[in-house]
Amino acid sequence: MDGPKHENLDARLARLPQEVAVPRNLWPGIARAIERRPRRARTFAIAASLSACAVGALLWAALHGWDWKGAADPGAAHPVSASARGASFDEPRDTAYLAARTDVERSFRDRLAVLDPRTRDTIQASLAEIRRTHEELRRELVAQPSNAVLEHLLESTLNDEFDLYDSVVQGTQPSMNRS
Amino acid sequence: MGPVHLRPAAEAIEPEVEPLAVIAAAAEGNVTAFEHLYARFSPAVYGLCLRLTGHPPTAEDCTQETFVAAWRALDRFERRSLFSTWLQRIAIHMVLARRRGLRVRFEVAEPPAGMPDVADPGAGAPPIDLERAIATLPEGARHVLVLVCIYGFSHGEAAQALGVAEGTCKAQLHRARKLLSAALGLEE
Repeated sequence: MDGPKHENLDARLARLPQEVAVPRNLWPGIARAIERRPRRARTFAIAASLSACAVGALLWAALHGWDWKGAADPGAAHPVSASARGASFDEPRDTAYLAARTDVERSFRDRLAVLDPRTRDTIQASLAEIRRTHEELRRELVAQPSNAVLEHLLESTLNDEFDLYDSVVQGTQPSMNRS
Repeated sequence: MGPVHLRPAAEAIEPEVEPLAVIAAAAEGNVTAFEHLYARFSPAVYGLCLRLTGHPPTAEDCTQETFVAAWRALDRFERRSLFSTWLQRIAIHMVLARRRGLRVRFEVAEPPAGMPDVADPGAGAPPIDLERAIATLPEGARHVLVLVCIYGFSHGEAAQALGVAEGTCKAQLHRARKLLSAALGLEE
């Protein structure tokens, strides 16, 4: 299989440069994304300062696995252990969190209803893709629980989902106020 | 289309030396330091994403997502590997994470525009450019060929990165070589 022909081809492939100039400067987009999605430690401060914002608080709760009942009682056990979740990060599953999540999703659906069908379909397709990716990553993390990259990607998909909710809610605010 | 630039003109850091102080500063939250890392490593990340996806706009998206992910995980980077290797792994995960949803866009029937205009020093007059021939390979074969033949992964490393069996990796490479040889008009 590895005859002279392949050696020749391999040599040509190996001579290709590993680096390719990026056609445009991606840094501004990266800088914006970094600003919007700070590291976990700073997510706490930002979300805490925006406690009136349901989406922000819910995202914070998800990222920190916060048990809202347990927060009032520091001795209370977390409802889902890290080992049961299969990764160090996953969404909380306690009743308070799920109820809050349901509220956020309800607001999202209400606002989605005011959009034109084509836009609505696009958003719903995006949401389905985000959720599918999230589930794939979650399953993969069960097999590779110490994979920090997968863990980060899982967290990112949750960020994406809440960003989508937030964008729709914020973006439809003016049209809902119009009479 | 211009020639491939190996690295940004403003970059003064030695290519083979990892800028450890800059990495440490970025890990501490210094955005300016991280911007330096972007300037230093984005051509390598983009090159890998471009070869894996065969689709320049998607490669740009994956590159951007790779750096955002790297920023968020950098405080947990333990230097058990080179920073550049760590970035490569994130980039591969990013490409694979997008693979299913963008499969139609990835499977190009014609050589896509925007592939690097690389002179092929090993051929007199190849029927089509080597880079473009790589971009037209089926996805699985292309991924293995890119990682093993261009980026120097072993079969084991490529199999692990792509989430496939090592035997599958070898079979895909054989297929890729065969298709590429045919596309380039190399002798059997």
